[in-house]
Amino acid sequence: MNLKISALDYIQEVKIGNISAEDFVAKTLEQIHNEDDKLHAFLSVNEKAVDQARDIDKKIKSGEKVGDCFGMPISIKDNLCIKDSKTTCASKMLENFIAPYDATVIRKLKQQDAIFVGKVNMDEFAMGLTTEFSAFGPSKNPWNNDCVPGGSSGGSAVSVSAFECVASLGSDTGGSVRNPASFCSAVGFKPTYGLISRFGLISYANSIEQIGPLTRTVKDTAFMLNMISGIDPNDNTTIDNKNEDYLSGIDSGIEGKKIGIIKEMIGEGIDPAVLSATKDAISKLESLGAICEEISLDMVKYSVAAYYTITATEAGSNLARYDNIRYGYDFPLEGYEFNSYISKARRNFGPEVTRRMIIGGFVPSSGQAGKYFLKALKVKSKLTNEINDAFKRFDLLLSPTVPVLPFKLGEKIDDPVSLFLVDINTVTANLTEKPAISVPFAISNGLPIGIQLMADTLQDKQLLQAAYALEQTVRLPEVPL
Amino acid sequence: MVTEEELEHVSKLMRIDVDDHKEFIEKVHAMIDYFDILDSAGVESEEISMPEISLSNLRKDEYIPFDDKLIEKLNHYKGTYVRAPKMSS
Repeated sequence: MNLKISALDYIQEVKIGNISAEDFVAKTLEQIHNEDDKLHAFLSVNEKAVDQARDIDKKIKSGEKVGDCFGMPISIKDNLCIKDSKTTCASKMLENFIAPYDATVIRKLKQQDAIFVGKVNMDEFAMGLTTEFSAFGPSKNPWNNDCVPGGSSGGSAVSVSAFECVASLGSDTGGSVRNPASFCSAVGFKPTYGLISRFGLISYANSIEQIGPLTRTVKDTAFMLNMISGIDPNDNTTIDNKNEDYLSGIDSGIEGKKIGIIKEMIGEGIDPAVLSATKDAISKLESLGAICEEISLDMVKYSVAAYYTITATEAGSNLARYDNIRYGYDFPLEGYEFNSYISKARRNFGPEVTRRMIIGGFVPSSGQAGKYFLKALKVKSKLTNEINDAFKRFDLLLSPTVPVLPFKLGEKIDDPVSLFLVDINTVTANLTEKPAISVPFAISNGLPIGIQLMADTLQDKQLLQAAYALEQTVRLPEVPL
Repeated sequence: MVTEEELEHVSKLMRIDVDDHKEFIEKVHAMIDYFDILDSAGVESEEISMPEISLSNLRKDEYIPFDDKLIEKLNHYKGTYVRAPKMSS
């Protein structure tokens, strides 16, 4: 049984009867059992997955209509609600929270007969980019276990890269799908804001976060987008995409496309290996007929500060619900005054979440909002104008996904500002609502490098076509498990 | 420049109490200091654009039944009321 196949190959093999969903899912659970003590991608495993796969095999054999996923084993970031399953957000605060309903993306995947093999690790409440802020311990990078896998959807990227599932769902607020995809050599996609419903995603920063797939190939990402995108009455920010088929025409190529290389994303602080890979990607795209030119976006320099100001503000509001009365772990009410009770409960937040709550209270407060929050919103507006102008000249924008290689566990955890700067290339797509994708492109000293492509609003299909073209120019080594 | 007193005041308002106070405030301080870069962005005259959703695009304001009794999922409730600790007088 080959667990290393793509999602589309899995579907084809099950369809023609070469493999059964039950055997593949059982083998996938065995892989989780064998690898996850070391990698710690999973926070919980669905022990009923094999039974569910067996039911799908029965449907196939009896000629019943089967959903397009054919029992495909998928992992789910632990901030997405699956009814009657634990959804912890990698936080002690929600350690025993059982979701009472399905997120829209989960409902859609269930309708298409996907199987959820488990919930995967993340930074607590998706605040971080290494998984080191998970209350249940960090995940490890499958390419080098001493290194971080990226985050916050680190468990998603590890599980895809280490063959513990064929695809995963993460969420991307400032790069949380693309960053771990880059660090673990997976494809990671952040769609246009509104393309995928956020209903059932535990909120961090509603105005900019999106759910996104992590897969082994660009085609698999297009397939996943077909499964989960579209308008949802439960999320007023969703867009009617008219059931767009993102897979059709994915091999259209990029001849004649104009690609802007963002100067500010390949400048100071970039690792030489990352710069070299970026130049190689540009050459390969040019050899396919693309026209590449440098472009300067002045506001990129301020994007990280604007991003953290806006997200902390929204997080401060979203996290206010964790008061141990509506949500939280169990401890008795007696003997506490209201405020001290909540303060005691909030000691269960980890250090990064607590820091961001304080920042989220400070930056929009009376007397400070003009200096921080309102200025951040103005940077967001100006950055959006700059990007919109750029897309009048270019079809796509390119940069490395992350300016540095995966770093050692613990290396940056005590320096929040140096961690901020790892986000410099990814936050722009979130602040401007544009779609962006990280494509695995190179391995340097055994560590993966991803290239990021960004497109204009609702040009997700064209973005996937370009990403597919780039993906086809390289053949990368296999992960050394 | 943000002061430690200001941060401590906000922590209290946010009902956050931490053990390693000094180290904690130092890190928050460093993070907020980094945001000072926004002062040099030259965006004072920029308009803030906000997304608009027309009322006709909103879901109908109607009751959608939910099968589970959600209140029973809480740790502390009595009948149809949520139980909370007493407020200080």
